[in-house]
Amino acid sequence: MAANAGGLVVETYKLTKIYQNRQIALNDVTLRIEPGCVLGLLGHNGAGKTTLLRLILGLHRPTAGWVKAFDKTMCPNAAQLRCKIGYIPTNPQFPRGMTPISYLDYIARLFGLPAEIRKPRLASLIRAVDLLNVSGDPIDGFSNGMTARLAVATSLINEPELLIWDEPTHGLDPEARRSMLELIKTLAKEKTLIVSSHNLGDIDEVCNHAAVLSRGHLIYFGSLQDLKGRMRRNHYELDLESDQKAIGKAVQAIKGMSEFKLVNLRSRRLELRLADDANSSSSLASVFMALADNKVNVVNIRSVGQQTEAAFLDLVEKEEAKGFARAYQQPESA
Amino acid sequence: MEAVAPAKTPKFVRYLPYWAVFCADLKSTLQSWIYRAWVLLSFGASLGFLLYRFGAKQVGGFVQPAPETMSDILTWITLGSITLVIVLTAGTICSERGTMADSILSRGISRYQYFLGKLHARLAAVLGTFLVIAVLSLAGSFLLLHGESLTFSGSVVALLAVMSILAMVTTFGVSISAICHSTVLSIAIVWMILYTGGFILSLMPADYPSPDRMLQRLPDVLRGFYDLQTVSRLVSGALSMSLLAATTGMVFFSRSDV
Repeated sequence: MAANAGGLVVETYKLTKIYQNRQIALNDVTLRIEPGCVLGLLGHNGAGKTTLLRLILGLHRPTAGWVKAFDKTMCPNAAQLRCKIGYIPTNPQFPRGMTPISYLDYIARLFGLPAEIRKPRLASLIRAVDLLNVSGDPIDGFSNGMTARLAVATSLINEPELLIWDEPTHGLDPEARRSMLELIKTLAKEKTLIVSSHNLGDIDEVCNHAAVLSRGHLIYFGSLQDLKGRMRRNHYELDLESDQKAIGKAVQAIKGMSEFKLVNLRSRRLELRLADDANSSSSLASVFMALADNKVNVVNIRSVGQQTEAAFLDLVEKEEAKGFARAYQQPESA
Repeated sequence: MEAVAPAKTPKFVRYLPYWAVFCADLKSTLQSWIYRAWVLLSFGASLGFLLYRFGAKQVGGFVQPAPETMSDILTWITLGSITLVIVLTAGTICSERGTMADSILSRGISRYQYFLGKLHARLAAVLGTFLVIAVLSLAGSFLLLHGESLTFSGSVVALLAVMSILAMVTTFGVSISAICHSTVLSIAIVWMILYTGGFILSLMPADYPSPDRMLQRLPDVLRGFYDLQTVSRLVSGALSMSLLAATTGMVFFSRSDV
C-alpha cells in the first residue's frame, strides 16, 4: 500500500468555499479519508462535488477551514503533494496538435519525471489503455472513449497514491463504461480513490465509502453499506408463470393482505410494496403461499430500485425537510 | 569484492515542470496566427522600407543616412508591434483558465513555475524575434545604404533600449493576464496602463528617461552619440517596472482560484 500507511490520505476540516461573496459552493465540510478507501462522492448538479475535489487538489483556496493531503496542508503551490495525486477532470481538455505520446510526455515532465523514468512508463501506459495504434495521431480527432482512456493514462503517469476521478464514466458507451469500472476495481486494490459520479449504480459497484453533498453541505459520510442499510427493502417485483385466471385469483388473495400498501399486476409482472411496519420475510412468505395455492410459478423475484439511489434520495429529501434545524445538526457518519 | 552501487536515478527533477511549460508555451506561441502576423508585418515592413530607400538612392540619388533609416525602422517596428505584442501576451494565462488550467495545474507544478514558464516563453518569443528582425535590418541598412555612420556600440545600445521597452510591454501583458479572468479585459487594462504611463512620462522633465524620447534620439544613439547614464536609467527603469509587474502578477496568481 501507500507510503502514507497509518496517516490519513485526505483530511478536511470545516472546509468552506464562497465564490466572490455571491455563491456558497461548500459549507463546513469535515471528512477523513483513510488509505485504501474508495470514496464515492454523490450529489446533485451544483451540490459542490467538483468544488470539493478542486479544493483537495489545491486548484482553489478555501474561504475557511483547511485541506490536508498526506498530512500536509494543501495549497496552490504544494506541487510535491500533487505529485502523489492522479486527477481526471470531468471533461478532460488536451492542448491542440498534441499526440498521446507528446501529451503524456508533457504531463510526465510536469511531474518532474526524468526521461529514463517517463519514457518507458508512458509507453507501457499507452499500451495498457490500448492507444498504441493511434499513439502518433493528434488527440483532437479522438472519440470520447479514447479521450477517457488517455485521461486514465495521464492520471496514472506519476504512479499516484491517491486517484481523484471526477465523473470518469461521463459520456462513455456501455462497453467503455464497463472497462472503466473494472479498472477502478483493479486500482482500488492498491490505491486510494475518490470517484465523483452522477451514476449511483457505478458508485454502488466500485466504492466502499460514500460522501453525500447537498447544496454544499456534507449530509452523509461513511461506509456505503451503512448508507444502504438505512433503506428498508420494501419494494419487489415478481415475474409469474401460469394462466391468467390463476394469477388473477392469487393476486386477489394478496390484495386482501394488510401488510401490502400496493399490489399491482401488469401482464404477468406483480409489483408489491410493503407497508412501513410490515415484516418483509413473513409478508413474502404469505405471498408465496397464496401463489402456491393457485399453482402459480415464480419465474423471477427482485428488489426494485437501487438501494444506494434510494438511500441517496432519502438523505437529500430529509436534509431539505430539516429547515432551520440543520444549523444545529452534525453530518451523519458511520 | 565490494559491490558497485548502481547509479541513483533522481525521482523528480525540480525544474522540469518549469521547462515543460516554457517549451510548450514557446511552441504554441510560435504556431499562433498573431505571432505569424506580427513577424510577417514587421519583417515585410522593414524589408520594404529598406528596398524603397535603396531604390531612391540608386534611381533618384536621394540619400537617407543609415542611422535615420534604421531609427525609422526600429521606431515603427516598436510602435507597430506593441498592439500585436499586447494581444499576444495579454491572454497568456487568462485564456487557459478553467478546464485547460485544471489539466496542467493539477499536476506536480507550482503556480510560480507555471507563471515563470509562461512569462519567459513569451519574453523569448517577442525579444528573440525582434532581435532577429532588427539585426537583419541593421545588416541590410549597413550593406545597402551609407552604413559608415552606423557604429557597433550605438547599434547594441539602441537595440538594448528598444528591447527593454518591449520586455516591459510583454511582462505587463503576461502579469495582467495572470490577474484578469478575461483576455479582452486584460488587453484593455494593459493598453490603459501603457497610455497612462506614456502620458505621465511625457509630462516629466526633458532629462527624464522616457521610451518616447529614447525613440526620438535613436539616430544619434546609432551614430554612437549617447549618454550611457540616460540609457542605463531607461533600461533599469524598464526592468524595474517589469520586475514589479511580474512579482505582482505572480503573487496574485499564486493566491487565486483557477
